[in-house]
Amino acid sequence: MNEEKEVEEQSIPLVLEKLEEHHADALLSQDEMRGTIVAVVRKEQVYAVLEYLKTDPELAYTFLVDVTAVDNSQMESELMQFDYARFMVVYQLYSYQGQCRVRVKVPVHENDLSVPSVTGLWRGANWLERETYDMFGINFEGHPDLRRILTPDDFQGHPLQKDYPLRGRGERESFNFDKQNA
Amino acid sequence: MGLTNTDIQSAQGAEQTDGNIITTTIDKVINWGRKNSLWPMPFGTACCAIEMMATLASKFDLSRFGSEAIRFSPRQSDLLIVSGRISIKMMPVLKRIYDQMPDPKWVISMGACASCGGVFDTYTLIQGVDQFIPVDVYIPGCPPRPEDLIDAVLQVQQKIASGASPKGVEHLLET
Ligand code: SF4
Repeated sequence: MNEEKEVEEQSIPLVLEKLEEHHADALLSQDEMRGTIVAVVRKEQVYAVLEYLKTDPELAYTFLVDVTAVDNSQMESELMQFDYARFMVVYQLYSYQGQCRVRVKVPVHENDLSVPSVTGLWRGANWLERETYDMFGINFEGHPDLRRILTPDDFQGHPLQKDYPLRGRGERESFNFDKQNA
Repeated sequence: MGLTNTDIQSAQGAEQTDGNIITTTIDKVINWGRKNSLWPMPFGTACCAIEMMATLASKFDLSRFGSEAIRFSPRQSDLLIVSGRISIKMMPVLKRIYDQMPDPKWVISMGACASCGGVFDTYTLIQGVDQFIPVDVYIPGCPPRPEDLIDAVLQVQQKIASGASPKGVEHLLET
């Protein structure tokens, strides 16, 4: 247990140190939240940063835990921080080697809802990105198969966007069984 | 366990003349058979399904009521147990499975979610499967106890014994 802690304490500054050194221009802000480094990165460089985090032999964040997004449209305080970017795409990484986590966030503006796909780095990103697309409408450029994954294929809209009504737009009452069974 | 003549008489309204001859109607005999060997098709999509599994396992033992032959093919079953949340993506599947079951078929809607959406009043959840398939018996609870499910099966049995048609058939006759 103690040993594990030591490793964490050592490697937490290391990742920031290395990011500062190699990708300083990509970093918008950095923070620490309960032992996890949070790095906010520019959209243009996110692929390079993630690739660096994965392939650098000292960091080796080889495990992509999750890809998701946050709609900050009702959170003025969050919006202000990053030039009124409505969405924040979030990548959670884990390093088995250093036994520590890092969270990479990318601000995305509403008028350009696209982020490069990381399926080339982690094949497991495929479904995670599909889910983020389905729920938030983020387009992952270069994704091999960007279809809806949770909602039905003919679903309209992206339900985790804050302006989507909680009770939906009547999709739970209206069914065309004939079409679906065809 | 042998059935005594009194059992048969009281259950089926049959009449016994002297000796071993029993008179009854074909319907009553058939219903008696149906009622005591309901083959459930489990449609377990969420936590309620865990209680359904408990009901089928040894402690609560649904086989005491003749319903232990769980079929995962709708073609071989006559009791659909909807236990859990049904999302808008799952509803066509459920409808299709219901349609594939041979008549006469009975439906139990188990738990708050299947019956009315439960606490999940959201865009994705069907607010009661009875909007799309006919339900014979509803079980309240979140989740209902296994005893509640057993009670529901017994209620279906009572319906069958009384000669009532399943909701699905009534529905067809109305339209
Ligand atoms: S009624 Fe309760 S236990 Fe049953 S599926 Fe819904 S949430 Fe789960």
